[in-house]
Amino acid sequence: MRFGGLTAVDRVSVNFYPGELVGIIGPNGAGKTTFFNTISGVLRPSSGKLLVAGRNLTGQRPHRYAQRGLARTFQTPRVFSDLPVISNIEFGLKFAGRRRRKYWLWGDETTVPWALRDARGILSLIGLSQVAELPAAAITPSQQRLLEIGMALATRPKMLLLDEVAAGLTEGELEEMARLITRLRDELDLVVVWIEHAVGTLLRYVDRVVVLHQGQKIADGTPTQIIRDPNVIEAYLGDEVLDLGEENR
Amino acid sequence: MSLSAWLELLASGLITGGIYALVALGLNLQYGLMRILNIAHGEFLMLGAYMTWVAVTQWGLSAPLMLPVSFGVLMLLGLAIHWFCFRRLSSTSPSLDIFEARGLMLAFGLMFLVQNYASWMWGGELRGYDFLADPVAIGASQFAGNKLLIFALAIAFSLGLIVMLRMTLLGKAVRALMQSPVGAQLVGINTRRLHPLMFGIGMGLSGLAGCLLSMAYTISPAMGEPYTVTALIVITLGGFGSMTGALLGGLFLGIVEAIGMHFTNPSLKALLSYLVFITVLLVRPKGLFSR
Amino acid sequence: MNGRQALMRDILVLVGLIGWALVLPHYGSEFAVSMGLTCLMYVALSSSWGLFCGSTRYLSLATSAFFGVGAYTTAIGLGQLAWIEVIVLGSCIAGLLAIVMGAAVLHLRGTYFAVLTFGMAELVRHAISYFEKSVSGTVGRVLSVVPEMSVLYLTVLAIAIVSLVLSIVVRRTRFGLALIGIGADEQRAQTLGVNTRLIKITGFAMTAAVAGAVGAAMAVRWTYIDPHTAFNPFIGFQTVLIALIGGAMTLWGPLIAAIVFSILAETLRLQAPQIYMMSLGLLLILSVLYLPGGLASLRWETFRDWWRGTGAWVKDRRYELSGDKERDKQRARRRRIV
Repeated sequence: MRFGGLTAVDRVSVNFYPGELVGIIGPNGAGKTTFFNTISGVLRPSSGKLLVAGRNLTGQRPHRYAQRGLARTFQTPRVFSDLPVISNIEFGLKFAGRRRRKYWLWGDETTVPWALRDARGILSLIGLSQVAELPAAAITPSQQRLLEIGMALATRPKMLLLDEVAAGLTEGELEEMARLITRLRDELDLVVVWIEHAVGTLLRYVDRVVVLHQGQKIADGTPTQIIRDPNVIEAYLGDEVLDLGEENR
Repeated sequence: MSLSAWLELLASGLITGGIYALVALGLNLQYGLMRILNIAHGEFLMLGAYMTWVAVTQWGLSAPLMLPVSFGVLMLLGLAIHWFCFRRLSSTSPSLDIFEARGLMLAFGLMFLVQNYASWMWGGELRGYDFLADPVAIGASQFAGNKLLIFALAIAFSLGLIVMLRMTLLGKAVRALMQSPVGAQLVGINTRRLHPLMFGIGMGLSGLAGCLLSMAYTISPAMGEPYTVTALIVITLGGFGSMTGALLGGLFLGIVEAIGMHFTNPSLKALLSYLVFITVLLVRPKGLFSR
Repeated sequence: MNGRQALMRDILVLVGLIGWALVLPHYGSEFAVSMGLTCLMYVALSSSWGLFCGSTRYLSLATSAFFGVGAYTTAIGLGQLAWIEVIVLGSCIAGLLAIVMGAAVLHLRGTYFAVLTFGMAELVRHAISYFEKSVSGTVGRVLSVVPEMSVLYLTVLAIAIVSLVLSIVVRRTRFGLALIGIGADEQRAQTLGVNTRLIKITGFAMTAAVAGAVGAAMAVRWTYIDPHTAFNPFIGFQTVLIALIGGAMTLWGPLIAAIVFSILAETLRLQAPQIYMMSLGLLLILSVLYLPGGLASLRWETFRDWWRGTGAWVKDRRYELSGDKERDKQRARRRRIV
């Protein structure tokens, strides 16, 4: 992915498998957000292909990505501030989240996980049931982040892309968020891709880690593997990752 | 077509282009810095023209004398407008997009107000006065003296502005603000003073352009609108926020218009400018001269 | 007020409007009917404009182009086609024009869009003007076969009703929600599955179709049509003004504003047209500064807030002017140094 003369992401090739929780980490400027924007359809890649369940989605507009089951959150929560929280969730349900009903116009929607059956269900899944009627601008930023995830879930995705959802959270909130994410992966059979700076927590929960550095993929494996990978250690100058290595041993 | 005829064509294109550039620079300053798309810009040009006309025909002053006066008066007017209107807007708008949209509507209202004020005050007929209308010969071609003067002054002022922006501390502060509003404030650049000042200068430039125009052309209350649109086209050609782009774009558009008018129909002038505009926006939305 | 009650209220107001409009010609003077006609015209124009442009925040200044296209369809076609056919045709051509314009221009941001629509409207005007002069050899056209005033009145009333019903219905559908989503955060709406391009073009075409129908109908009010009258940009501007001052995002804002301004227009326009337009401009400025939601968003709280705001401002000025502010600043400075 090139921006003018700058190659932000250079021939990074990743495969995602169903039911995985994958983390993407890398120091600042590694190209994580650009990578994210490219695989979610916001940016058009200068070269390369994007295949979702065998379908080529390269260069399509973002709503097609959503309809094919790729949902994403934004780093700074972008919610519809004037609408109440529950309408924010309903929005996704009415568009990319629509599924065929059992008897054409009424009855339950088929092939939808129980937890995502309606807006109230999604709200209770992410834990925002008590603020359902408030306008989205009135809830706290960490609640807004949960709402972001809820809105993405409302599109009934097959793959959920989370962009730095842990930024600015306290230790406790971080643990809760990570537990929510694993729960989503387990109950809804999603692929969850999680970009994060807070490497420590992420490494504890993910199945697989992809490490980016200066636009290139330098490692791809389980957390224990990448901690020992010399390229990764060099990229991060050792501190945080080595500490974790101590813990995990 | 002979060489001298070509030169005359090019020159007349450059002359109109010079005015376009001057007006566009003012608009660019306002939009690039403050994201205020002043769609009423042409109306203030018209005010400058009328002020000069009143001064010349009713008080007998000389037209070039009105140059600094029209700049000054319109700059003060710009300061006042910014203070009373746009300042409140920037403090009450929840986001930049909303600020832009509201700014546009505000400017829309201003356009109505100013244009009809002029129409009410001075009537809708065409007015004008004579100034340096004798032809001057350069080489084998002939030009009207006043148009040459207009061209020279327009280019001089445009270059002056560009030089000021590049060389002086004030200019550097303005360019810093354009590139990074927050960063500039963090290093101590005073937005509260700079925004109204630049808004005022932008308006002053359009008043100046109006004064220049009144020397060679007839004026009417509706004369401003075409210049606003042309200035917008020029800014789009040159890239929003780029000063040299506005200058080059203005000259370029002037030449394109002159050539187009000569080879097709003069009444197609407006059509041509709009077509250029739309094509550029579709093909290179960031402007012809942007990096 | 929940959904069902709101719907009841909307239908009641609509019925009231229809009743009043039907009664007016029988009891009102010719002047009143003319005013009523203008009012209905602007109701149709501004409510359809508000439906698309209010929700999506894409301010279109191209209304005069669609109006003019409709008017010219009547001017050219009224001899051969029936009245209804001409109206429908004018509406369709305007809609097609909007689709072409929209496909070219709707992917640009709000302010660009506003300027471009204005430019395109002028382009259409100049193009038709040139075409008429060189190809048809005419400067303007005369309408010889003109239907009666009552037919015109009822047609415009019908168009206004269609426009209002459209507003009422669309706001309750997925389409209306998509429009609001686009206005709130277009990219977010896209990532949630909204095909923004299609929705925008459809909404734009809807506005254009109504404007085209109105133009086609109103053409018979002036028996002589030339590009200057048919594509008069003032019609487009006044539509935008009315919708904005009334409250573009609401259903009844444009209606209220249309009534108020039609009265103002007809009374002031003949004596002091410039004063009328100046006051329009001033009103728009005031409304953008102090009442961005339009007249329809006026509530008791708004007045209370204005009162409080003025009080606070007066207090601030008194504080500054009496020198107390300076004294406090000095005191604070001294304390900091110590």
